[in-house]
Amino acid sequence: MIEFHHVTRNYARKVAVDGLSLTVPPGELFALLGPNGAGKTTTIKMLVGLLRPTSGSVVACGCDLVGDVRRATRCMGYVPEEPFLYDKLSGREFLEFAAEMRGLDRAAVDDRVRRQCRDFELDDFVDDLTETYSHGMKQRLVLASALLHDPAVLVLDEPMIGLDPRSVRMVKDLLRAQAAAGVAVFMSTHTLAVAEEIANRIGIMDRGRLHFLGTVAELQQELASPHAALEPLFLQLTGDTTA
Amino acid sequence: MNRMHAAYPPLGDFLSAEDESRVFGRMRYRIARTLLRQTFSQARFRASLVLMLTILLWSGMFWMFADGFRFLQAAIPHPETHARTVGAVLGAFFAALLLMLVFSSGIILYGSLFRSPEITLLLTMPARTERVFLHKFHEAIFFSSWGFMLLGSPILLAYGIVAEAPWYYYAMLPPFLAAFIYIPVAVGAILCLWVVRRIPDNRLAALMFGGLLLLCGAAWMCWSLLTGPESDLLTPGWFLEILGRLQFSEQRLLPSWWLSSGLLDAAARAWSESILFLALMISNALFFRQLAIWTAGRIYREAYSGLWGRESRRKRARPGTFDRSLSWAVRGLPPAMRLLLIKDLRLFRRDPLQWSQFLIFFGLLALYFLNIRRFTYDIYYIGWVNMVSFLNLSVVGLLMSTFTTRFIFPMISLEGRRFWILGLLPVGRETILWSKFLFAAGGSIIPCSALILLSDAMLNVSPMVLASHQLTCLVLCLGLAAIAVGLGARLPNLREQSPARIAAGFGGTLNLVVSTLYIFVIVLLTALPMHFYLAASYTGVVRGVSEQAAMMWWLRLWLMAGTAASLLLGTLATILPLRMGLRALRKLEF
Repeated sequence: MIEFHHVTRNYARKVAVDGLSLTVPPGELFALLGPNGAGKTTTIKMLVGLLRPTSGSVVACGCDLVGDVRRATRCMGYVPEEPFLYDKLSGREFLEFAAEMRGLDRAAVDDRVRRQCRDFELDDFVDDLTETYSHGMKQRLVLASALLHDPAVLVLDEPMIGLDPRSVRMVKDLLRAQAAAGVAVFMSTHTLAVAEEIANRIGIMDRGRLHFLGTVAELQQELASPHAALEPLFLQLTGDTTA
Repeated sequence: MNRMHAAYPPLGDFLSAEDESRVFGRMRYRIARTLLRQTFSQARFRASLVLMLTILLWSGMFWMFADGFRFLQAAIPHPETHARTVGAVLGAFFAALLLMLVFSSGIILYGSLFRSPEITLLLTMPARTERVFLHKFHEAIFFSSWGFMLLGSPILLAYGIVAEAPWYYYAMLPPFLAAFIYIPVAVGAILCLWVVRRIPDNRLAALMFGGLLLLCGAAWMCWSLLTGPESDLLTPGWFLEILGRLQFSEQRLLPSWWLSSGLLDAAARAWSESILFLALMISNALFFRQLAIWTAGRIYREAYSGLWGRESRRKRARPGTFDRSLSWAVRGLPPAMRLLLIKDLRLFRRDPLQWSQFLIFFGLLALYFLNIRRFTYDIYYIGWVNMVSFLNLSVVGLLMSTFTTRFIFPMISLEGRRFWILGLLPVGRETILWSKFLFAAGGSIIPCSALILLSDAMLNVSPMVLASHQLTCLVLCLGLAAIAVGLGARLPNLREQSPARIAAGFGGTLNLVVSTLYIFVIVLLTALPMHFYLAASYTGVVRGVSEQAAMMWWLRLWLMAGTAASLLLGTLATILPLRMGLRALRKLEF
């Protein structure tokens, strides 16, 4: 479960996120959409404990992201937009580090690493140094590491950027499967087609405010639009607000 | 993936602090092992060169310090004054290092705790904030300590040997030095955390202010040590005056004083006092380490959040007066080359990392040259003045070679990912190469010539020596620029985006070695004949008028031949690398 309670985050005089209230229950795949500078990345950074809200609170798995950040991040998997990997570690060593940091014992570490290598098709390159990986290989490794400990909450910032069609398919299937397994999935994306295809609910932010929260059908109804596709609806909503 | 989560997952125990430390330690060990393996298998040339130069530098400093301590022993036979003098010298040396360590560790930790991409990963893992801080703190200790050890160990070993210190002096060196390093690094860490926490928007101003204070302090110290009654140089009165001026280093609260006093006691076989100082040092190191960890636990996450919560300022790019002046100055050049030159200058001007380093090092050299006049009254022997003037020329050349390696050599490589822009423009590849060469040569000739002129003016050298220096300086700058541009085009690293990493690679190392050799050969070709020629001119007739005239004729011939050879070598060093680079650049695909 993810909860934002009246969250505001200021960057000096600029309000990056303005009074955000939102709940993502277990088993839901939620996609946060919005133009550049809408406040999506700030929202995600508050959700993973990197930034603190100016007011309000962010809660994941029942733990406050300011007061109990360690416990909150323990039940969470995070895939940032530009993930960091240690160049001089192999993929396996990186997975072992991530697993050990989550408190898994030696046997569990080996078991989980084997499982992730199989599920994410990492076996061919997992023992190579990560400095030799392509973007797609890095993204698969980071996803594998984020899911090593079977988190209750999965947070992804633009997970589809730079992926080939096969990897995009893999990520989409994975996110659906995670949501089906009871994980609360929170994803920010610019790829409207992906959000439309896999998200249970979408949120549209612009200039720090959440302008819409619901399904694509509800958005169409709210805008009284003849279009059923997300793209024209999104453009209509964000065009109106920025006008 | 076919599991179902309950409302919240069961959360077992967190890793204990010890286990967490082990996990981080294993990660660091694995990275270090891979780095070492790669260095010895892929970068043997660079590793051997670094090792060789380090040994050379260390041995040079050891020899210099040993000689200095022997000189002090001979010049100040009185044991108490001698002990006071050595204590003051060591105290001042370590007090300066203490201040530099505080400042450098603060900067290192700012980069690693707040700007490094690794931190995003670590802060989103369930690691203790204190552990994340400690991980970076240990990195800062490592990065700070190698430089400190390189400077500190030769002086202390040299003193031990000259003072015939007992075995426990050497045994105490490692714990004394290790404990000493912890204190300034911890203080630097605390300052860094507080500055970012309290004034995230003005951290740059705080940094500049600190840097300025440091520079002013160094300048004041040099000035106060080097100015004074000239007739007293190296006499007992002069020593006493210098001791008085170094009194600040004998403050009882300074760890540098504990270090020098503890080690001097050990060398004087007063082991019980020495152990007391060691205990004082270790307990303070542990205290400051703990204070830094405690501070990080309290404010690090808040400071991080505050820093990244600043409103990003819009940076408007306007053509500056400097750009306009340059545009006017190079108006005779072809338009494409002029535009490329202005583009490179803009990039240089808008990257403070480049010009600030340039400014600091050249500023320090200028400060030294301004003070050099102090010596000329005492070291009246003309040979010394000539030698010092050529040494200054070499130092300027060497400094320039590090800058051409660091900033000019990577220029073609850095065009790598955007080479398609230049590649698709109706601009010949030779224009690109020439513009880089002109940028490098023009940018180095002006400051180098000015510095050499300053040095010569302070040393009051003859017009002939001055002209020779300016000519040598011109040859050096043209050659160094051509070597860096040519090798940069011949050995580009198009995958790397960091100029520092490009410069640290094989090509950069080769550039540094070739540049250094070039400087030595050019300076020797002109300095040696000039030295003997001046020596012969000032010593006067030794055997007979005809013999003297013959000797002067031969020396003049040697001087002319040396100058001609240096001009020839300079021409070759300018043309050949540029031709080689142009050939390589023409073949470059994008």
